[in-house]
Amino acid sequence: MLREVATTIAPDYQTMDYPTIIAVAESELHLDALIERIILPTTGAAVIFTGLVRGRTTRHGPSQVALDEPQETLYLEYEAYKPMAEAKMRQIADEIRQKWPSVEGIAIIQRIGRLYPRTPTVVIACTAAHRDTGVFEAARYGIDRLKDVVPIWKKEFGPNGEFWVEGEYIPKPGE
Amino acid sequence: MNKVKVLFFATLRDLAGSKSIELDVPAEMTVQGLKDRLAHDNPKLRQAMETVLVAINREYAFDATVLPEAAEIAMFPPVSGG
Repeated sequence: MLREVATTIAPDYQTMDYPTIIAVAESELHLDALIERIILPTTGAAVIFTGLVRGRTTRHGPSQVALDEPQETLYLEYEAYKPMAEAKMRQIADEIRQKWPSVEGIAIIQRIGRLYPRTPTVVIACTAAHRDTGVFEAARYGIDRLKDVVPIWKKEFGPNGEFWVEGEYIPKPGE
Repeated sequence: MNKVKVLFFATLRDLAGSKSIELDVPAEMTVQGLKDRLAHDNPKLRQAMETVLVAINREYAFDATVLPEAAEIAMFPPVSGG
Protein backbone atom coordinates (compact mmCIF):
# COMPACT_ATOMS: atom_id res chain seq x y z
CA MET A 1 0.00 0.00 0.00
CA LEU A 2 2.74 2.42 0.99
CA ARG A 3 4.56 1.46 -2.16
CA GLU A 4 1.61 2.47 -4.35
CA VAL A 5 1.34 5.85 -2.65
CA ALA A 6 5.03 6.47 -3.19
CA THR A 7 4.67 5.63 -6.88
CA THR A 8 1.87 8.13 -7.31
CA ILE A 9 3.44 11.08 -5.57
CA ALA A 10 7.01 10.51 -6.68
CA PRO A 11 7.34 9.86 -10.42
CA ASP A 12 11.07 9.30 -10.00
CA TYR A 13 10.43 6.53 -7.48
CA GLN A 14 12.05 4.07 -9.83
CA THR A 15 15.41 5.84 -9.67
CA MET A 16 15.96 4.10 -6.34
CA ASP A 17 16.64 0.98 -8.39
CA TYR A 18 19.18 2.63 -10.67
CA PRO A 19 22.64 1.14 -10.18
CA THR A 20 25.44 3.32 -8.82
CA ILE A 21 28.93 1.82 -8.64
CA ILE A 22 31.56 3.69 -6.65
CA ALA A 23 35.07 2.47 -5.90
CA VAL A 24 38.65 3.37 -5.17
CA ALA A 25 40.31 0.29 -6.64
CA GLU A 26 43.72 -1.24 -6.30
CA SER A 27 43.26 -3.73 -9.12
CA GLU A 28 42.88 -3.47 -12.88
CA LEU A 29 39.75 -1.86 -14.36
CA HIS A 30 37.64 -4.11 -16.55
CA LEU A 31 35.53 -1.78 -18.65
CA ASP A 32 33.23 -4.33 -20.29
CA ALA A 33 32.30 -5.99 -17.01
CA LEU A 34 31.74 -2.61 -15.40
CA ILE A 35 29.45 -1.31 -18.14
CA GLU A 36 27.42 -4.48 -18.01
CA ARG A 37 26.51 -3.67 -14.41
CA ILE A 38 24.99 -0.27 -15.29
CA ILE A 39 22.93 -1.39 -18.29
CA LEU A 40 19.19 -1.72 -17.64
CA PRO A 41 16.51 -3.16 -19.94
CA THR A 42 15.64 0.48 -20.82
CA THR A 43 19.23 1.53 -21.56
CA GLY A 44 20.10 2.52 -25.12
CA ALA A 45 23.18 4.68 -24.58
CA ALA A 46 26.33 4.49 -22.49
CA VAL A 47 28.96 7.22 -22.32
CA ILE A 48 32.28 6.05 -20.94
CA PHE A 49 35.14 8.38 -20.10
CA THR A 50 38.43 6.86 -19.13
CA GLY A 51 41.60 8.71 -18.22
CA LEU A 52 45.01 7.16 -18.96
CA VAL A 53 48.58 7.63 -17.85
CA ARG A 54 50.26 9.70 -20.57
CA GLY A 55 53.79 8.52 -21.34
CA ARG A 56 54.84 11.73 -23.06
CA THR A 57 53.53 15.21 -22.31
CA THR A 58 54.00 18.16 -24.64
CA ARG A 59 52.80 21.54 -23.47
CA HIS A 60 51.21 23.62 -26.22
CA GLY A 61 50.77 27.36 -26.55
CA PRO A 62 48.37 29.27 -28.83
CA SER A 63 47.91 27.70 -32.30
CA GLN A 64 49.10 24.36 -30.87
CA VAL A 65 52.77 25.39 -31.03
CA ALA A 66 54.85 23.14 -28.78
CA LEU A 67 56.28 25.23 -25.93
CA ASP A 68 59.15 22.95 -24.95
CA GLU A 69 60.56 19.46 -25.33
CA PRO A 70 58.15 16.63 -24.55
CA GLN A 71 58.41 15.36 -21.00
CA GLU A 72 58.62 11.62 -20.37
CA THR A 73 56.66 9.89 -17.61
CA LEU A 74 57.84 6.53 -16.29
CA TYR A 75 54.86 5.99 -14.02
CA LEU A 76 52.45 7.70 -11.63
CA GLU A 77 51.72 6.77 -8.04
CA TYR A 78 48.20 7.52 -6.85
CA GLU A 79 47.02 7.68 -3.27
CA ALA A 80 43.60 8.40 -1.79
CA TYR A 81 41.94 9.30 1.48
CA LYS A 82 39.73 6.34 0.73
CA PRO A 83 36.62 6.77 2.93
CA MET A 84 36.26 10.46 2.05
CA ALA A 85 37.05 9.77 -1.62
CA GLU A 86 34.27 7.21 -1.82
CA ALA A 87 31.85 9.55 0.01
CA LYS A 88 32.66 12.37 -2.42
CA MET A 89 32.28 10.08 -5.44
CA ARG A 90 28.85 9.10 -4.13
CA GLN A 91 28.02 12.79 -3.71
CA ILE A 92 29.02 13.40 -7.36
CA ALA A 93 26.74 10.56 -8.47
CA ASP A 94 23.91 12.22 -6.50
CA GLU A 95 24.68 15.57 -8.16
CA ILE A 96 24.55 13.90 -11.60
CA ARG A 97 21.13 12.40 -10.81
CA GLN A 98 19.85 15.81 -9.65
CA LYS A 99 21.05 17.53 -12.82
CA TRP A 100 20.21 14.78 -15.32
CA PRO A 101 17.32 12.71 -13.93
CA SER A 102 17.29 10.71 -17.17
CA VAL A 103 20.63 9.12 -16.34
CA GLU A 104 20.08 5.46 -15.41
CA GLY A 105 23.34 3.82 -14.26
CA ILE A 106 26.45 5.55 -12.97
CA ALA A 107 29.93 4.12 -12.38
CA ILE A 108 32.75 6.18 -10.87
CA ILE A 109 35.97 4.27 -10.29
CA GLN A 110 39.47 5.52 -9.55
CA ARG A 111 42.51 3.26 -9.51
CA ILE A 112 45.31 3.92 -7.04
CA GLY A 113 48.84 2.60 -6.63
CA ARG A 114 51.61 2.58 -9.26
CA LEU A 115 50.28 3.00 -12.80
CA TYR A 116 52.27 2.95 -16.01
CA PRO A 117 51.67 4.78 -19.33
CA ARG A 118 48.71 3.50 -21.40
CA THR A 119 46.95 2.30 -18.24
CA PRO A 120 43.36 3.45 -17.51
CA THR A 121 43.37 5.26 -14.17
CA VAL A 122 39.78 6.43 -13.84
CA VAL A 123 36.40 5.57 -15.33
CA ILE A 124 33.23 7.64 -15.32
CA ALA A 125 30.37 5.92 -17.10
CA CYS A 126 26.74 6.95 -17.38
CA THR A 127 23.90 5.16 -19.09
CA ALA A 128 20.51 6.44 -20.32
CA ALA A 129 17.68 5.47 -22.62
CA HIS A 130 18.95 7.69 -25.48
CA ARG A 131 22.10 9.64 -26.33
CA ASP A 132 20.35 13.03 -26.38
CA THR A 133 19.29 12.94 -22.72
CA GLY A 134 22.32 14.76 -21.32
CA VAL A 135 24.29 11.56 -20.80
CA PHE A 136 27.42 12.98 -22.50
CA GLU A 137 27.30 16.08 -20.28
CA ALA A 138 26.69 13.90 -17.20
CA ALA A 139 29.89 11.90 -17.75
CA ARG A 140 31.84 15.11 -18.45
CA TYR A 141 30.50 16.66 -15.25
CA GLY A 142 31.51 13.54 -13.34
CA ILE A 143 35.18 13.63 -14.36
CA ASP A 144 35.42 17.42 -13.88
CA ARG A 145 33.99 17.17 -10.35
CA LEU A 146 36.18 14.21 -9.47
CA LYS A 147 39.26 16.24 -10.38
CA ASP A 148 38.03 19.11 -8.18
CA VAL A 149 36.73 17.56 -4.96
CA VAL A 150 37.68 13.88 -4.57
CA PRO A 151 40.71 13.53 -2.24
CA ILE A 152 43.16 11.66 -4.49
CA TRP A 153 46.70 12.74 -5.36
CA LYS A 154 49.31 11.57 -7.82
CA LYS A 155 53.07 11.71 -7.85
CA GLU A 156 54.83 11.67 -11.18
CA PHE A 157 58.08 9.73 -11.67
CA GLY A 158 60.23 10.65 -14.69
CA PRO A 159 63.83 10.25 -15.84
CA ASN A 160 64.77 13.44 -13.97
CA GLY A 161 63.09 12.75 -10.66
CA GLU A 162 59.71 12.76 -8.98
CA PHE A 163 57.19 15.44 -8.10
CA TRP A 164 53.70 15.70 -6.66
CA VAL A 165 51.06 16.87 -9.11
CA GLU A 166 48.99 19.52 -7.36
CA GLY A 167 45.50 20.58 -8.29
CA GLU A 168 44.18 24.12 -8.17
CA TYR A 169 40.60 23.87 -7.02
CA ILE A 170 39.64 25.11 -3.54
CA PRO A 171 36.34 23.46 -2.48
CA LYS A 172 33.62 25.68 -1.09
CA PRO A 173 31.42 24.97 1.96
CA GLY A 174 28.96 22.21 1.12
CA GLU A 175 31.18 20.68 -1.54
CA MET B 1 40.20 18.77 26.32
CA ASN B 2 39.39 17.11 23.06
CA LYS B 3 41.43 14.26 21.59
CA VAL B 4 41.53 14.52 17.80
CA LYS B 5 43.27 12.55 15.08
CA VAL B 6 44.99 14.41 12.24
CA LEU B 7 45.72 12.54 8.99
CA PHE B 8 48.24 13.92 6.48
CA PHE B 9 48.24 13.14 2.76
CA ALA B 10 50.59 13.73 -0.19
CA THR B 11 52.87 16.77 0.29
CA LEU B 12 51.50 17.32 3.80
CA ARG B 13 52.59 13.82 4.85
CA ASP B 14 56.08 14.47 3.48
CA LEU B 15 56.30 17.71 5.48
CA ALA B 16 54.77 16.29 8.66
CA GLY B 17 57.00 13.23 8.50
CA SER B 18 54.11 10.94 9.48
CA LYS B 19 50.76 9.68 8.21
CA SER B 20 48.81 10.70 11.28
CA ILE B 21 49.09 12.12 14.78
CA GLU B 22 46.83 12.28 17.81
CA LEU B 23 46.50 15.57 19.62
CA ASP B 24 44.85 16.86 22.77
CA VAL B 25 43.36 20.24 21.94
CA PRO B 26 41.20 22.74 23.88
CA ALA B 27 37.47 22.13 23.61
CA GLU B 28 36.69 25.21 21.50
CA MET B 29 39.64 25.03 19.12
CA THR B 30 38.86 26.03 15.51
CA VAL B 31 40.46 24.80 12.29
CA GLN B 32 42.51 28.02 12.26
CA GLY B 33 43.61 27.33 15.82
CA LEU B 34 44.72 23.84 14.84
CA LYS B 35 46.70 25.19 11.87
CA ASP B 36 48.44 27.68 14.17
CA ARG B 37 49.22 24.93 16.67
CA LEU B 38 50.69 22.61 13.99
CA ALA B 39 52.73 25.44 12.43
CA HIS B 40 54.12 26.22 15.89
CA ASP B 41 54.88 22.57 16.75
CA ASN B 42 56.49 21.77 13.38
CA PRO B 43 58.03 24.72 11.49
CA LYS B 44 58.19 22.59 8.33
CA LEU B 45 54.39 22.77 8.20
CA ARG B 46 54.19 26.55 8.65
CA GLN B 47 54.08 27.60 5.01
CA ALA B 48 51.78 24.74 3.99
CA MET B 49 49.21 25.75 6.63
CA GLU B 50 48.41 28.85 4.55
CA THR B 51 47.04 26.86 1.60
CA VAL B 52 46.20 23.45 3.04
CA LEU B 53 42.75 21.90 2.50
CA VAL B 54 41.10 20.56 5.65
CA ALA B 55 38.41 17.92 6.09
CA ILE B 56 36.62 17.08 9.34
CA ASN B 57 34.94 13.69 9.52
CA ARG B 58 35.29 13.41 5.73
CA GLU B 59 33.69 16.76 4.80
CA TYR B 60 35.55 19.89 3.75
CA ALA B 61 35.96 22.30 6.66
CA PHE B 62 36.97 25.95 6.92
CA ASP B 63 38.95 28.17 9.28
CA ALA B 64 36.11 29.18 11.62
CA THR B 65 34.82 25.63 12.15
CA VAL B 66 35.12 24.36 15.74
CA LEU B 67 36.68 20.89 15.93
CA PRO B 68 34.01 18.38 17.04
CA GLU B 69 34.79 15.95 19.81
CA ALA B 70 37.09 13.08 18.78
CA ALA B 71 37.15 14.42 15.22
CA GLU B 72 39.00 12.77 12.36
CA ILE B 73 40.74 15.66 10.66
CA ALA B 74 42.57 15.38 7.34
CA MET B 75 45.02 17.85 5.83
CA PHE B 76 46.11 17.77 2.21
CA PRO B 77 46.97 19.87 -0.87
CA PRO B 78 44.45 20.60 -3.66
CA VAL B 79 43.48 17.24 -5.15
CA SER B 80 44.94 15.81 -8.38
CA GLY B 81 43.07 12.57 -9.09
CA GLY B 82 41.70 11.40 -12.40
